[in-house]
Amino acid sequence: MTFALQLSIAGIATGSVYALIALGIVLIYKCSGVVNFAQGAYAMLGAYVTYALLRVGLPAFAAVLLGMVLMAGIGVLTERLALRVMLKAPIVSIMMVTLGLLIFLRAFCLAIWGPDQIAFPQIFPAGAIDVAGIYLTYNYIAAFVLATTLSIAFLCFYRFTSIGLMQRCAADNSRAALAIGIHVSNQVSIAWAASAALAGLGGVLLATLGGLSLGISDIGLIAFPVIVVGGLDSLIGALIAGFLLGMLEAFTEGMLTPGLEDILRRFTTIQSVGALQQVIPYALLVLMLLVRPQGIFGRSGTERV
Amino acid sequence: MTLAVRDLTIRFGGVTAVANMSLDVGAREIVGLIGPNGAGKTTFINCIAGVNRSVAGSAVWGGREILGLSPAALLRLGVARTFQSVVSLHDLTVLDVVKLGAAAHARRRSGFIAQFFGSERTFEDELCESLLKPLNLADVARSPIQTLSYGQRKSVDLARALAAEPQMLYLDEPVAGLTYQEGLNMGAVIRSVRDRFGCSVIMVEHKMDVVMATCDRITVMAHGSRIFEGTPAEVQTDQEVRRVYLGDA
Amino acid sequence: MTTRTVLIAAALAVAVALVGYEANRFWAYLIYAVAISSIGAMSLNLLIGFCGQITFAQGALIGVGAYTAGNLGNAGWGALSLLGAGLCGALASALIGLPALRLRGLYFAISTLAAQFIFSYLFKILQPLTNGVSGLVVKPLVLFGRPVASDQEYAVISIVLLFLSWLFLSRLAQTDVGRALLVIRESELVARGMGIDVSRTKMKAFLVSGFFAGLCGGLLAFTSRFANPEAFEIGLSVDQTAMIIVGGLGSLAGSVIGAVFVTLLPEAIQRLGELMPSADLVSAFREMAFGVLIILFLLLEPRGLVSLGQRLRSRWSGSKSNAGTAVTIPLRDRSRTFAMPAFNRRKV
Repeated sequence: MTFALQLSIAGIATGSVYALIALGIVLIYKCSGVVNFAQGAYAMLGAYVTYALLRVGLPAFAAVLLGMVLMAGIGVLTERLALRVMLKAPIVSIMMVTLGLLIFLRAFCLAIWGPDQIAFPQIFPAGAIDVAGIYLTYNYIAAFVLATTLSIAFLCFYRFTSIGLMQRCAADNSRAALAIGIHVSNQVSIAWAASAALAGLGGVLLATLGGLSLGISDIGLIAFPVIVVGGLDSLIGALIAGFLLGMLEAFTEGMLTPGLEDILRRFTTIQSVGALQQVIPYALLVLMLLVRPQGIFGRSGTERV
Repeated sequence: MTLAVRDLTIRFGGVTAVANMSLDVGAREIVGLIGPNGAGKTTFINCIAGVNRSVAGSAVWGGREILGLSPAALLRLGVARTFQSVVSLHDLTVLDVVKLGAAAHARRRSGFIAQFFGSERTFEDELCESLLKPLNLADVARSPIQTLSYGQRKSVDLARALAAEPQMLYLDEPVAGLTYQEGLNMGAVIRSVRDRFGCSVIMVEHKMDVVMATCDRITVMAHGSRIFEGTPAEVQTDQEVRRVYLGDA
Repeated sequence: MTTRTVLIAAALAVAVALVGYEANRFWAYLIYAVAISSIGAMSLNLLIGFCGQITFAQGALIGVGAYTAGNLGNAGWGALSLLGAGLCGALASALIGLPALRLRGLYFAISTLAAQFIFSYLFKILQPLTNGVSGLVVKPLVLFGRPVASDQEYAVISIVLLFLSWLFLSRLAQTDVGRALLVIRESELVARGMGIDVSRTKMKAFLVSGFFAGLCGGLLAFTSRFANPEAFEIGLSVDQTAMIIVGGLGSLAGSVIGAVFVTLLPEAIQRLGELMPSADLVSAFREMAFGVLIILFLLLEPRGLVSLGQRLRSRWSGSKSNAGTAVTIPLRDRSRTFAMPAFNRRKV
């Protein structure tokens, strides 16, 4: 029981960060119809950039904030330079552009920071509190609190401010939005800036939890199935999807994998099930797509089947 | 063969698009289906063409119930259709599209193996002679669709449908988007097609002059049902039809 | 496809095969690497370029072919192991294609992404068949009772198979099935209205495409004598997609041109990069160049090198267009969508 609780806590903490990153993917999809495979790369780049800023000697708070600002700039840059030109290109081309971006950014970080995992500087206090036998490290608490607050703040922003209203309008029907005088392409840029910044912070939080490496960019592809399960055009769905993914990973790693390996070792020559936690979401996705393609929270009619 | 549609009803959610619609088409007859926008004409055609589903009614073609059959099954029974908007099959040539139409008609088509290994020159020449020449498409037979004008594309779509040697042809707005002269030409082509191939025709159309000049009989639809049926001359003088089209005078 | 096109292609194949047979090991390696990638790229182009089914599972299918050929070859099946690789590839492809009967466009693409991850996971854990992460050592291909040992011989075999694959696929494009694929790409609704059995036609495309992907994998296993899971991950799918985009969607010749480009580019950068201080840096620059190149191509020449070639040719030969031959099916222009509903249409 304690073990399960411990797993849930780890799951919820990483899940909240995933939710932050997933939010960006959904935001970009809603606003510009682009499926951004490079979101994980934004997270990775954000973490590396923040790391570099910390190394220069900036205080943690300033480094994280500046990192997010820089990432927002990079988000706008990619949208203006690459995606805007592709407006009417075939969907496979748009997917390939974001994949190309992912490859490029990974290689860029590899060239500068090398392939090895780097210990991320402590930006939150070390140590843990012990609640009824369950350890809560400050890293986990900070990641959870920061990611959740930011996600909710963002949702409120999107829901209640005038920019948020324009965003929703542009996302809902860009033609109508244009007609009533909303500068749609600016709204798309804002969406890219916001998602890149959110992803950047997500990357920093992931780095504080599990170290800084190129592997952070994998989250972009791993989060994908869960986002589709939540519904590609639902922000709430993305939040829930993020938490779900975190839990799924934690429980697969902590419980399913050891159990399954036990059984397999007994009856077959297979010794290990490997990184099962990375595949379970995809298996879930395939089932989901066959049953309810628009996702749990997505609007039906997003794709007519 | 004749087509008899009885009490056809089509609903989308709570909206009744077509209500108790009936229509008869005799052998070698050209029936025009007219009515204001939203009258349910295209929905009706789509339904008897196997695209939309009906909730009630029947459609009997040559003694067989055809509601619920797929377009492919309908083609095998000799029912072909054209499309309202011309599809952008840009990469295909005119002959390619017409061959696809012929493919629906198994007897006219060589098998996969023969196509794979053989040349189709003779078949292509035959199609050119029998279909493309009458439709003024022979010169562009080997041009990609994207190089054709809108009117020519409409003709290609008609040629495609005719390649299946239909006994019944549904034409969904065959002259929409064409110039006045092209439209009149198309009307003449439709009549000559009927004469050459001996098929029945249902045509949905807005351009009244073409409809008047082409059809043997006209059915007027409004709000999903038939409000009038008669010869072109009768339709022109009917008060109810005038009211639906022009509003209360 | 005219007889002339076939003869030119055959002459080209013989010439390259001869060069491959006489050349040194490195050139022979380049030739078979390009030829094998070309087979894979053509098979992928059949699905994406001709039929409009976006798939990211090509790497997995090539992997299935590689492991099948490896196991069959090691068990002494000889040349039949390549056939087996193709058949298993076709089977796996049909399996991955099943969701395409219900899903379209983006959602199908994501389901193939899922398939890709699940397959590369299976390659890692199905120890008895794949030897897990350590990889499967493959014995040389036995042809006519004799093991094929030299790279030069593999170059000849690959070129011959590339020619045969091209011949098959370009003939296929000239049949009703091939034409139906193009209609399905533009609009499934219209295809159905024209009396085309959309599901069956799609399945045929998946089977044929899978067969050649499997064949590509089989050749890959025999030429590299090794099949390991890392070789068949999403990266391979991306490489293959890059080939058909660089070469030209919906063009078999484009697939080959793209394969030449994408296969040779890293080699060239590798040569240049030998001046650089560390191997990591070289591979980083190779990847960066690859990423940038994909993006630049999509931005500047979205219809691929084939259309660039066509434009140049038509400029030289006046305005006479050359759009009738099978291999150079004229391509979509930028203003058109890829027949994926609700996705591009949302844009103004």
